[in-house]
Amino acid sequence: MQTEEQKSKTAPGREPQTKYLREQQKKQRQQQRFIKKETQTAARYLGRLEQLSGAPAAMQPFVEVLRRIYVEMQGVETDRPTIGTYCVMVPQELIYAAGAQPVKLCSGNYTAFSIGDDLTPRDACPLVKAVAGFQHTGLMPVYRDCSMMVVPITCDCKKKIAGMLRDSVELITLHVPASREDADMEAYLRQLYELMERLEAATGSPISSGSLAEGFQMVGRAQAEFSEFIRLRKSSPALLRGTHSMAMMNASAYMSADRWADAMHGVNLELKERIRTGEKISSRSLPRILLTGSPIVFPNIKIPLLIEEMGGLVSADETCMGERGMWDPAVITDHSFNGMLRALANRALRPCPCPTFADNTQRIYRLKQMIRDNEIQGVIYHVLRGCLVYDFEYRQIEEELGKLEIPVIRLESDYNEEDVEQLRIRIEAFIELIKLRQEPVRRTGIRESF
Amino acid sequence: MRSRKKLVITVLACLGIACPAYFAGNLLFFGFPEEGTDYPGTLLPFLIILAASAAGIILCVFLRRRISGTERIQARASRTGRSGAKDLIPKQKPSVFMILRWGLMIVFSFFMIAGGLLFGLRISSLSIPVLSCPWNREQMAEASCYYLSHLNELFELPLTDILLFFASTLGFTIVLGRIMCGFLCPMGLIQDLMDKLRQKLCMNGFTMNEKRYQAVKPVKWCLLFLFFGLWFAGGNFCNFCPAITVSPILAGMSTSLYVSGFLMILVLIGSFFKRRMWCLVCPLGYLVGLLHKISLFRIRKDCTACTECGACYEACPMGIKLIYTERENTDVTDVNCIMCGECIRKCPEDNALSMTFAGKQIYTASRAQVMSSYQRNLRKEER
Ligand code: SF4
Ligand code: SF4
Ligand code: SF4
Ligand code: SF4
Repeated sequence: MQTEEQKSKTAPGREPQTKYLREQQKKQRQQQRFIKKETQTAARYLGRLEQLSGAPAAMQPFVEVLRRIYVEMQGVETDRPTIGTYCVMVPQELIYAAGAQPVKLCSGNYTAFSIGDDLTPRDACPLVKAVAGFQHTGLMPVYRDCSMMVVPITCDCKKKIAGMLRDSVELITLHVPASREDADMEAYLRQLYELMERLEAATGSPISSGSLAEGFQMVGRAQAEFSEFIRLRKSSPALLRGTHSMAMMNASAYMSADRWADAMHGVNLELKERIRTGEKISSRSLPRILLTGSPIVFPNIKIPLLIEEMGGLVSADETCMGERGMWDPAVITDHSFNGMLRALANRALRPCPCPTFADNTQRIYRLKQMIRDNEIQGVIYHVLRGCLVYDFEYRQIEEELGKLEIPVIRLESDYNEEDVEQLRIRIEAFIELIKLRQEPVRRTGIRESF
Repeated sequence: MRSRKKLVITVLACLGIACPAYFAGNLLFFGFPEEGTDYPGTLLPFLIILAASAAGIILCVFLRRRISGTERIQARASRTGRSGAKDLIPKQKPSVFMILRWGLMIVFSFFMIAGGLLFGLRISSLSIPVLSCPWNREQMAEASCYYLSHLNELFELPLTDILLFFASTLGFTIVLGRIMCGFLCPMGLIQDLMDKLRQKLCMNGFTMNEKRYQAVKPVKWCLLFLFFGLWFAGGNFCNFCPAITVSPILAGMSTSLYVSGFLMILVLIGSFFKRRMWCLVCPLGYLVGLLHKISLFRIRKDCTACTECGACYEACPMGIKLIYTERENTDVTDVNCIMCGECIRKCPEDNALSMTFAGKQIYTASRAQVMSSYQRNLRKEER
């Protein structure tokens, strides 16, 4: 006691210094713990993803990208500056045109979520909490490296997270209108002009008709491959599993459109080969399930994983990190520069069945269309706790699908593994329900004699 | 209050159109000497119109760049583009339908203008409702517009001619309907060419929206009224109609031009910036369109396949929003639809839109067609 007192008396500057050091060490330990937990979770889910039967070999490049980002914790493989984006409403074409690489930052990370939980209100959605967590720790290269972030204001959580992120990174918000009238589209177009100037300032390379056209070519080719992929995915019996497909879509967030298209091309070739050789993922006819609702972002893929581990098949998904993100092409109807930007504004708003729009009946039409095209037998409606806009639409969709006699369940989940058991029970029951409704398939021929 | 203001503006605009239309005969744009001129000389008014339109377009572009901020951005974006940028802009592979459309438009326009000179006037007693001016006495078939806008003269004709007139006009209207606008009309061709020119130059157009399309409607009604009614009041619609500057002049007739000449300059400038500008208000086309319910060409929509992406609405030169918003009816043919097929070409959903003739599909939307813009890259990779 005495000696310590003396020490502090004799060397007054030392105590704060040790305190500082201690805090540093504590922080370092925290960071190490964070990294360890984060990489472990990601690795575990990647493992489960690969163990799931029926993964095409050509899926490997996508898995590698997810591993690179989440397990190895490295940045996106590119020599361009990266621009962070949220939602499907940010035109990737424009970012490529500015000589940058778009990265989708919507997050599904449990570890970051647990940190963000303390930074945001209790009722904020986990996706935004995870983003806040990542930004706070500053450990994730994909977030750290961004030259700028583009945040479309699609819900209150996004609006407020934009305000939080603004402190530490250059950021631009895009006001997403509540309807899709002509005037709304024109207002969005004006914002794209603004975004264009900000992008040019951030990357230092001007956007021209030529570079924009190049952006269109890159994204367009990826969409062409994706269209082919969706065509193959619709086949029944199924050629691949939805969880794998969703992981591939997820990987597109961290890959250049060119590389993604190349990798997708490989998958398409393999699927065509499967058709030729008659290879199926399962000899039984699996219950075909449509997954829709709040975004499902790696590593929060527990729901599709559970569905398929329990013997279901996610044969289509209507989520924004899934099919929705790439399906609708920007159709150029006028070859001027304004015409191209208009095509982008039009694509961002009109075909998008995002619940941010006040009247979103078109989502119901989209779901019905997917149900018909994919021979869907049941719909799982995923709601992230706190994601109000999606939760709002559940009732109407349940009602409409009820008319079609398609069973629907609503699954609420959070970014942790505490609810897994409960989810498992409900998914299992749902799959059983579908199986019961299925026409019993006669597996053996009719016996003619004893 | 707002609607009152709108009404006043509309009435003033209609009067602004009606007055020059009525006094059109007093406003000479280009007069030929009494005895007429020989062939190359007759082209002079046409060249004047072209030159004036070009000057007008340049002036518009210049003014717009001074006024509009986004226009400046656009101008810079186009300038800083490397050469060859235009080739990079995604273009769909031409479809049979579109090749046919352009081919027919060009061939038909040529025959309507010079066919009589080359092949004689064998079918010239047939009347077809397109704006290919019959002041050109040597065209292949008569255009119905002259007698429709001069009903008094129509009823002075022998009975068989009157019957033939009505039979052929009605026949064409029912069998073809406004596909004549998309496939045959020379005025349509000229406007489409102006639009092509602008797109080749990668210049910004004038973008329309619902409000603006609504605002144009009264002009259309006003013109239709003038079209039928002007001769009652002692006027002559032909002195006002821009189409007179095309066919007769190109066929080598020395037809003196009145307000038509000025109007044609406006039409050319207008259609450079907005595709098929004149067709939005053309009385003859509208008249044919009024009978769209019974015509055999139809636009059909499979509402279950549509994603409401709005590409069709963006592509439609006539601004028909119905094709994009419709969610129940399978028939989306509209009075204003000129059957140009642009909506079908740009629709990315398989089978969502199609054109039918008497129930048979002749042109269908497909994703492959839209994605063909990117096929060049696909092939490159395949190699
Ligand atoms: S001037 Fe116009 S209305 Fe008159 S005949 Fe010619 S095209 Fe028809
Ligand atoms: S609407 Fe256009 S295409 Fe049709 S008749 Fe009139 S000018 Fe010709
Ligand atoms: S609806 Fe289609 S076919 Fe009709 S005018 Fe518009 S784009 Fe052309
Ligand atoms: S282009 Fe096709 S999918 Fe898009 S809104 Fe029109 S009809 Fe629907």
